[in-house]
Amino acid sequence: MQNVVFGIITGSTLAVATIGFAMVYRTENFLNIAHAQMMALGGFIGVVLVKSYGWNVFVAGAVTVVGVGALGVVVAAVFFRPVRHLGGTVLLFTSIGVALILYAAIIALFSTQARFYSVGFGTRYEFAGINVLTGELVIVGLAFASIIALQLFLNGTGLGRAVRATASNDDLARVRGVPVRRVSNTIWFISSAFGAMAGVMIGVLSSVNAEIGWHHILTVLAAAVLGGLRSLSGVIVAGLLLGIAMDVSVLFINSSYRPVVAFGVLVAVLVLRPEGILSVQRRKEAAVA
Amino acid sequence: MTNPVFWVGVLTLALIYANLAMVLNVESGWGGMWDLGVAGLLASGAYFYVILGVDDPELGTRFVPGLPMWLAWPLAAVFTGLVALAIALPSLRLRREYFLITTLAFAEIIRQIAVIQADLTRGTVGFSSLDRPLDTLVEARSYNYVLLGIVAFATLVMYAITRRIGLSSYGRTLRAARDNEALALALGKRVNRMRIKTFVLAGVLIGAVAPLYLFYIRAITPQLFAPGITFTVWTALVIGGLGSIRGGVLGAVVLIVFTQGVRLIEIDPQYVSSIEPFLVGLLLVLVLRFRPDGLISERNTFGAARLRSRGRGPVPATAGAAAVAVDSSSGPAEPAPSA
Repeated sequence: MQNVVFGIITGSTLAVATIGFAMVYRTENFLNIAHAQMMALGGFIGVVLVKSYGWNVFVAGAVTVVGVGALGVVVAAVFFRPVRHLGGTVLLFTSIGVALILYAAIIALFSTQARFYSVGFGTRYEFAGINVLTGELVIVGLAFASIIALQLFLNGTGLGRAVRATASNDDLARVRGVPVRRVSNTIWFISSAFGAMAGVMIGVLSSVNAEIGWHHILTVLAAAVLGGLRSLSGVIVAGLLLGIAMDVSVLFINSSYRPVVAFGVLVAVLVLRPEGILSVQRRKEAAVA
Repeated sequence: MTNPVFWVGVLTLALIYANLAMVLNVESGWGGMWDLGVAGLLASGAYFYVILGVDDPELGTRFVPGLPMWLAWPLAAVFTGLVALAIALPSLRLRREYFLITTLAFAEIIRQIAVIQADLTRGTVGFSSLDRPLDTLVEARSYNYVLLGIVAFATLVMYAITRRIGLSSYGRTLRAARDNEALALALGKRVNRMRIKTFVLAGVLIGAVAPLYLFYIRAITPQLFAPGITFTVWTALVIGGLGSIRGGVLGAVVLIVFTQGVRLIEIDPQYVSSIEPFLVGLLLVLVLRFRPDGLISERNTFGAARLRSRGRGPVPATAGAAAVAVDSSSGPAEPAPSA
């Protein structure tokens, strides 16, 4: 059971990381490989603010999230928007290029050494043989709070509805007078901000190093596909399931196979159920039939 | 700093990448299969080659086959083809992004297996000071020239093979299925079977190239086969021009000469390791922005063939863009309806 708890913690950071990725896929229609570099960047900026400037970890996290969110808007305007008319493939490869540029910037600015937040995790609680630290509860709580906040934003505000309209039908939204540019900026901000938040969380839980972007793009892709690239709630379920699967598998097989489990699950799901776990498309088809 | 040995090494690496880019072009440029698993197949080929050649029980691996190089090399290619088949059967049932992610996942699984199965691969320690062909003929100092010769010969062979494929009816069918799958099916082509064959062929060819890469590096660890190598091959192909054979070669040479050449410039050591990813990324972004078809486009490659058939109908890329499901898988070469 202890491993299920670990899995939930891993899974909730994974869900936060994947939501931003899935949002960009839904609205801009491409797999943004650079997303995970935003996570790495967030992790590093956070660690520098905490360690070198002695900021409180929550303040540092909030500043990082807003800062990286803003950077995401700039990156989109400089790199992605000019090639948007060329289609998903060009965007995908541009995002690989952007990922490499961001990776180079991360190495140049923060070097390749692992950095630690060394933040205290507070009191240990024990229920029926399961250990949980306050800090871990805070992280899971924050992850879910931010995801719920995103849902409220998307469902409850005008701009959120505009985002959803653009996601479901870009052209129709444009024709109906949705401010496309503003919507796009909002999406990039949210996406990068969630990426940075996941980066800070992962950094606090373990450590940050220059390679985490490349490591996590694979699990993020796995979670996004598992959840069905077009469904946000599916992404959350998938993130949690994948996190639990990775951490529970350690009980049965060699722990060094942990990353392989994620991809094994991914390949199995893709082959058996290519539309993802909770597929909107599938449910729509079922409703029509 | 105009050391000829340095440039010989750079050119050797560039031509190895050129070989990989030519294979990837058959598979992805013409076949429309977006394979992000090049690193996995390269790793399979390399590990099969090394493990089949292990002749020293002191190394502590489970098998000591000790096969000679000339036997281990083709066997490695065949085994890599089998690995490709195992990947192709589930993956090719998927489309577009899903295929791309599955191949990436398989590559990562292969790399992790190489880390974990230490009784075969010696894990993260790997093997070093590998034997190289013809290294008894010349002294070690000038071996780089021999290796360049071998790699250059391999490049010519690969060019001939892929050119033959490109101009054959098989190659045309591949491209037709990429541009309009429904039409290819309607013409009675067994598209799925053809794609599986192509994927396996790419596996065999990558397996055959893998030992060349080892002769260049002279050591093998799982870290060599991180996804970065796949992205480099893709970058070379995209820069050169997806769908064009010479494009892949040109792209690889430009990319590698560019990224290795900057090592000659004196820079702060802190920034050294960031220069290469930065240049690769920048080159990729700029080429896609200002020349999305790459330096040599597919149209140029088949220009002559296209001219001959011009009287008979429209160019394939325009044939039925709306009718097909493969729209996003046909690459940057797609928006190219020449009047």
